[in-house]
Amino acid sequence: MAEEKRVMLGQEGAETGSALRKALSLKPADVAFEVREAKLLGRGGAGFPTGVKWVLAGGASGERKYIICNADEGEPGTFKDRVLLDEYTEKILEGMAIAGHAIDADTGIIYLRAEYPYLIPRIMEARQNLIDRGLLGENIGGTDFSFDIEIRPGAGAYVCGEETSLMESMEGRRGEPRNKPPFPTNQGFLGMPTVINNVETFAAIPHIVLEGAEWYQALGRGENSGTKLFSVSGDVENPGVYELPLGSSVCELLELAGGKDTQAVQVGGASGATIGPDELDRCMSFADLPPGGSVIVFDRSRDMLDVLENFMEFFVHESCGQCTPCREGNMRLLDVIADLKAGRIESMKQLKPYFQLAETMKLGSKCGLGQTSSNCFVDIVSKFVDLPDDVKGDA
Amino acid sequence: MARSAEQIVEEGLSRYGSGREAVMQLLTDVNNELGYVPEEAMRAIAKAVGVSNAEIFSVVSFYSFLSIEPRGRHIVRLCKTISCAMKGSADILQALKDDLGIGVGETTEDGRVTLETTSCIGLCDQSPAMLVDDVPHSRLTPEKACEIVRGLE
Repeated sequence: MAEEKRVMLGQEGAETGSALRKALSLKPADVAFEVREAKLLGRGGAGFPTGVKWVLAGGASGERKYIICNADEGEPGTFKDRVLLDEYTEKILEGMAIAGHAIDADTGIIYLRAEYPYLIPRIMEARQNLIDRGLLGENIGGTDFSFDIEIRPGAGAYVCGEETSLMESMEGRRGEPRNKPPFPTNQGFLGMPTVINNVETFAAIPHIVLEGAEWYQALGRGENSGTKLFSVSGDVENPGVYELPLGSSVCELLELAGGKDTQAVQVGGASGATIGPDELDRCMSFADLPPGGSVIVFDRSRDMLDVLENFMEFFVHESCGQCTPCREGNMRLLDVIADLKAGRIESMKQLKPYFQLAETMKLGSKCGLGQTSSNCFVDIVSKFVDLPDDVKGDA
Repeated sequence: MARSAEQIVEEGLSRYGSGREAVMQLLTDVNNELGYVPEEAMRAIAKAVGVSNAEIFSVVSFYSFLSIEPRGRHIVRLCKTISCAMKGSADILQALKDDLGIGVGETTEDGRVTLETTSCIGLCDQSPAMLVDDVPHSRLTPEKACEIVRGLE
């Protein structure tokens, strides 16, 4: 019987502020080292080691430094950050303040997607609570560390979840990704050293500071460190957020959420991987199925070409248009999906140029959107579309 | 009394400053209060920040939630992404269109409601869902959605 491992979603826990007080008793660099030792990988989906970001930004020089919380949760099927922001707000703010101490930043900014305006009062209330208790603001805990948090609004653009387009947006520009390097840890918001982490990543920080790197590592399965939140939706009896050890299998999650007659599971959202019923023992980990947070379940009543068409319409709308392979490629893939649905494609051979296009998009796009938007096409067409390799008369 | 676009920008500038990093907040304030970003607002922001009008127009045109056209007093944004689509968002869209007598992107003649579809709004566990202005509504049926929209002033 599969079981949840509730750490971040745990109801009992240390009082807010105890982790921050402990962090403030440590040298900034030691806090960053502890997070690095915990092997916490970015919970937004890209999986970059959080502690490495902190160590780099801590060592970078700049007039000011910034902590940014990426709350632009836009991946289809993902809603765990909404739940964290709503129910575990103080923990996120505390995690941001700890990051501020670790890299010597005095400003934290939450970039909140336009689709979550109803969370603003909750966040501002939590901020005020922490100020009233001396956990945010000037000279926190009687030290010379000062830190405050503000909210900056998104305006409805999936691509702004990419960290450099998010910063472009915060600087009042179109949310078009930047070239890397320079990396945000050296030149981020307003050209200053910046640590940008996902909501869930910040929510894990107070636990790591209080319980230690070894404890956190042991929460994961095998080589994986920590727990992970999964947003489960689609054809399951109990959609919702589940917390499991990182590295858990898809079937464990399906057992918890009540998936029946499952035809396919999309792990990691529209840009993630689509797997069939024979692959459900695969692991949700950065080494196997990258776990952005979204798990969408499809039972056998679903036409996977309809699913694919929905995903590709999404990418056509959300591509920022900067890189040609992404801007044009998504549209061409959407066209060929219409051809497939209408029966105008008779063999896999006819689809070959589109698989090549998918590869070009992956290689020729600057950011994660263009590099991953063709995944669903490749996975769904190769696993769920039944066509002969070749037909007589094909040129 | 309703504030003019210029007044909203001016008050925003005193709160957020006139750096380029104030642009999104200024645009959001104008868009939230007037329902769209009129040309006067774009000109005022461009002047204050010190960039061309075209530059600000380009920013406004990039984001789904910012509009350059006047819209209704209420904006209904129905999610059309996968988890909502699987639970019948297409039927809800049809019901709303029929009930309001408008298409997607259009506004009712009395200026009451603008109907839009949107990419995933993160309510996939309660699908199908929509945002009406700042308020989320979930586990919709065609009847429930129409009832909510009819109740808007």
